[in-house]
Amino acid sequence: MRAFEVVSARDARHAVALLAERVPTAKVKVLAGGTDLLADLKFASSSHAPDVVIDISRARELGNISLTDEGLSIGALVTHTEIMRSPIIRDLFPALVDAAHTIGAVQTRNLGTLGGNLVTAVPSVDSGPTLVALDARVTLLGPAGERSMPLADFFVGPRRTALKPDELLVEILIPKENLGKPACFLKFGLRKGQALALVNVAASVWVDWDTQAFVAPRIALGAVAPKVIHASTAEAYLEGRAIDQEAMAEAGRLAVGDAKPINDFRASAEYRRDLIAVLTRRALEGAYGLAQKWRSEKT
Amino acid sequence: MAKVTLTVNGEIRSASVPPETTLLKLLREEFGLTGSKLGCDVGDCGACTVIVDGKSVNSCLMLAVQADGRDVLTVEGLATMEHLHPLQQLFEDKGSLQCGFCGPGVIMSAKALLDENPDPTEQEIRDALAGNLCRCTGYSKMIEAIQAVARAGRGEPAAKSVV
Repeated sequence: MRAFEVVSARDARHAVALLAERVPTAKVKVLAGGTDLLADLKFASSSHAPDVVIDISRARELGNISLTDEGLSIGALVTHTEIMRSPIIRDLFPALVDAAHTIGAVQTRNLGTLGGNLVTAVPSVDSGPTLVALDARVTLLGPAGERSMPLADFFVGPRRTALKPDELLVEILIPKENLGKPACFLKFGLRKGQALALVNVAASVWVDWDTQAFVAPRIALGAVAPKVIHASTAEAYLEGRAIDQEAMAEAGRLAVGDAKPINDFRASAEYRRDLIAVLTRRALEGAYGLAQKWRSEKT
Repeated sequence: MAKVTLTVNGEIRSASVPPETTLLKLLREEFGLTGSKLGCDVGDCGACTVIVDGKSVNSCLMLAVQADGRDVLTVEGLATMEHLHPLQQLFEDKGSLQCGFCGPGVIMSAKALLDENPDPTEQEIRDALAGNLCRCTGYSKMIEAIQAVARAGRGEPAAKSVV
């Protein structure tokens, strides 16, 4: 790796102060778990290599998972392993546990953080779809204070986000109205271990049990557009619609039209389109199945 | 230069290294602990796996300065002068390795697994080794060895079908 300076931040405010001080005159990168950044830096050309790396891995206040008045708050430094083991997340959002489990391998999940996964913002980001399907928001801390935006808008394009150079992603928030919303995440890769998604899909649904209809259905697709997207046509089709197999299959077919998959060395666009239809249907079935299971456990 | 002080295999060690030095490079080149291997250098192969504060990590993806103040265990910390660690002994008994390059990383991943889960299923063992690439063995005899260590750790006799 090309030489760089490392500055350790005590906490988020210190990190933002360091960013404000260094960004105007230097190429700066923020280091959290390092599983993306350090791998990238080993191949970085000298024009992309940073002069300064701000290490936030000791900012422990960013490592909390907690229920607040606003919803479920997940600190940016929470690792994928910590998500898999969190009793709160296992209870409320098993789909987030499933998604975390598909990321890398044990060693990468032990170091890699949720915030880092989102900031890297590859189109196949496995943390993305479930959170987007749960209308998650991100909190960004900058010199002027905090701002919040939907995660779906935080993603801008391949490896591009709305984060400004002097800002730090500090928190991921699932809003309180979605606490316990049944969700399902599915990923199709070429192997079980350490595979990038050809397609990943998450669905979340509320159910109106009186009318047996979908309420606020959300479908998010990864790896089939420049960023994680909502399958808006499919969502609109399902809103208020009676739940049956054909409706979920039709939503899958409509989701194909919402995506813009590419051909690459992992799979053809045509194959990815087939996967979108099948995985979307299965994710909806999974979310609805979870809704039924939780309802039967309550009564 | 950055000064780092950490516990390595139970001993407190210090070094001054350039800030971009990885933990792997610190272990191999400053401390002479060459058990952890440099393979892919980007976190895919797991040959550099060590245990930091109880968790397995790729030491090629951690800066030495990030390990400052932490507790690091490498494959050199397992055996005593008298005895191999049970994982090392069973890997030897069962012929679990061929070229052996992946071995230190595999054994550290297995140790981290058994420390947290003394009774893993075969699938849990496979999941724990997903980040350790072995191109020789096909993994079967590693899994047998890890299962045998787990059984012995639980005080159960070895399965008859193996050895």
